Amino acid sequence: MGVYVSLLVRRYLTTRIIPLIAVGAVALCVALVTVVVSVMSGFLENLRNSGRTLMGDVVVSYPVQGIPWYEDLIADIERLPGAEAATPLVDTYGLVRMPYPDGGNKDVVTAQVWAIEPDSFARVTEFDRTIWWKPADAAQALAMAPDDPRRTLTGKEYGNAKAMRDADTGAPGALLGMHVSVVNQRQRDGSYRPRVDRWWMPSHEVTVTLVPISEKGQVSQSNSRVFKVVNEVMSGVFQVDRNRIFIPLKDGQELLRLDEAPVVDTDAEPDAQGNLPVIGTSPARATQVLVRAKPGVTPRELRDQVTEAYAAFWGRKAADRSVRVRPPAPDYVTVQTWEERLRDIIAPVERERQMMRILFSLTYLVCAGLILAIFWSIVSEKTRDVGILRAVGAGRLGVLRIFLAYGLVIGAVGSLAGAGLGWLIIRNINDIHMALGEDAPAWSWIAAYLLAALAGTMALRALVASRVLATLLHSVAALVLAGIGTGLYLHQGFLMWDPAVYYFATIPSQMDWTNAVVTCIGATVFSVLGAAVPAARAADIDPVRALRYE
Amino acid sequence: MTSSGHQPHAPAAPVAGGPILEARDVHRTYRLGRVEVPVLKGASIAVHPGEWVSILGSSGSGKSTLLHILGGLDRADRGHVAFRGEEIVGYSPRRLDRYRNDHVGFVFQFYHLLPELTVLENAMLPATVGVGMIEWSRRRHEVRERARALLDRLGLSHRFRHRPAELSGGERQRVAIARALMRNPEVLLADEPTGNLDARSGESLLEVIAEQHRAGLAVVMVTHDQWVAARADRTVHLADGRVA
Repeated sequence: MGVYVSLLVRRYLTTRIIPLIAVGAVALCVALVTVVVSVMSGFLENLRNSGRTLMGDVVVSYPVQGIPWYEDLIADIERLPGAEAATPLVDTYGLVRMPYPDGGNKDVVTAQVWAIEPDSFARVTEFDRTIWWKPADAAQALAMAPDDPRRTLTGKEYGNAKAMRDADTGAPGALLGMHVSVVNQRQRDGSYRPRVDRWWMPSHEVTVTLVPISEKGQVSQSNSRVFKVVNEVMSGVFQVDRNRIFIPLKDGQELLRLDEAPVVDTDAEPDAQGNLPVIGTSPARATQVLVRAKPGVTPRELRDQVTEAYAAFWGRKAADRSVRVRPPAPDYVTVQTWEERLRDIIAPVERERQMMRILFSLTYLVCAGLILAIFWSIVSEKTRDVGILRAVGAGRLGVLRIFLAYGLVIGAVGSLAGAGLGWLIIRNINDIHMALGEDAPAWSWIAAYLLAALAGTMALRALVASRVLATLLHSVAALVLAGIGTGLYLHQGFLMWDPAVYYFATIPSQMDWTNAVVTCIGATVFSVLGAAVPAARAADIDPVRALRYE
Repeated sequence: MTSSGHQPHAPAAPVAGGPILEARDVHRTYRLGRVEVPVLKGASIAVHPGEWVSILGSSGSGKSTLLHILGGLDRADRGHVAFRGEEIVGYSPRRLDRYRNDHVGFVFQFYHLLPELTVLENAMLPATVGVGMIEWSRRRHEVRERARALLDRLGLSHRFRHRPAELSGGERQRVAIARALMRNPEVLLADEPTGNLDARSGESLLEVIAEQHRAGLAVVMVTHDQWVAARADRTVHLADGRVA
């Protein structure tokens, strides 16, 4: 770039208001795209992370009837080169009778019940991390509010949660998703408090009712059991935290009659007591086996290994004549990666993100259009400057370069400012959202009205002095400020992000830097393209006419 | 013509027996919509090294057009324009740009300074044209010193950092002269340089030009003021597109 080009670009940028407007316009476009796509990318990333966090890498599933001999299957899977650990799971739906309200008419909710073995489940998923009521370490305690209940914990609840049993009474324990209890309330700092202290769940019991399904697909007599709530879990996925409870695997199997049971000969004659003769044992069953991959092994690689392992497992059991209850054939068992299991959710979101990117690429055209309009006016205003530059020896290309470089700098500065603004918004998006959800503080609308009054006074003064532009500008400022004040006064607080709709309790707040960089480059390129037409027009200006231009 | 391009020149060596700048039988017609307006109809002029020539004529006689053609800002439709005997009509646009930058300096009636630049930067402007950043880092100090020296000589040493809007008309025109002299040209082309100044400032400015002329600079000055034209070595009258 020539010296006079950089000198003039610098001066045009620093001594004029119009380029600042262009920079602001580009910045707003970039910030808009950055924020929207970052939230969508964060949402997708959360979906992916939560899938893996909650169910490991690969899921072997045979719902309702369950997979018998699952311990053997797990042993086979854990011998696979790509498998780190595997755990059985019984997944069903049931009713949960909550301890509140007072009196006999308690609240009953439907819930997804996961019966698990806590130790192996924690090895496959990040179950430990989701247990909420555990003593804070020194660093966490610093960030906690003074009245956060976690400050007073001794660690008993955490121990009970890991064992899924109340250490004092020996009663089986249940863990509830944080939003299963309607009493729990999320605070601005992300912590939780019960609305009424005594309904803090870990000190209460719930009754879980499950309905077994027979081999013939008929509903059997429901079974209920009381569980001590030993802790609550917070996965961050609202749908999970609102619906899911965890109980010990053995209890779940018993309630659903998937536990080990004698096999009777139904063709034989019953004995004197009416009992059929026992000819063997039906093993306990699990409806799913969750598997975690070793580091460096992709879920797809593990899925293929597990599929082969299941086929071998089934073949072995089918060939064993001593085995009376055979596992389901491989054709009827689903082996999927976590991503495949969540495909119905992830695929539409991915498509939506792509669509948003395409739609928001229109902002590039907005950038180009804005720059074109602003530069057209600048070139008209700078016609004489072009003549002067040509008179001192600058060529048409030099003039072209001035305005292209000007567009480049405006695009680059605007893009960087927009990415910075987007980063600030994304970083604080949940605080902003929470602030919008509350009534505006009195000082804000009082301040807006005071500023409106000040602007109105200045408009009157300008009117008396017959200054039309000042009167207009101050009047507009007074009206806008009065409107803002009224808006703030009437603002009742609203929350746009409904966790029930968007799965997660909080808005994703991770910056999508790849997208931000692409957006910045796109906005800069289109700014240069927008500047190109006025720049070419400037280069074509006849220097003699330019010098005579008034 | 200099090959290094951006080293200030020594005053022009006289061309043996010939003019440094010459226009012969130059025609120029402007088109205003569908109407063609012939401005120059065979104008001729020759300027010798170190000579001060005034072109006198009424408004619309084609004085400024002739000056622009001599300076390579405009092209003749027909005729010959030569600098040191070399035809410039056939110059490529790039070479014509270099010609304006290396060999001539323009001064205009309305100063034509860039409002965003300081006095010093306006004066330095021709020396920044066609110079890359690397070369500039090597020559910046030298260029700045020359611009300071020129402005100092023109009595503007206290105005280096001011913007044109902060100067009087006479001061602005002196900055324009400093800019025109920055590349040490062989010919100064002045288009009504005193036309927008009061009598005292005009006289002062003419004295500055006279001083440069005494130092060997050829000057072509367009004016419609006989008194101003009288300062020149020679006056040519332009009427109806021809030298009378």
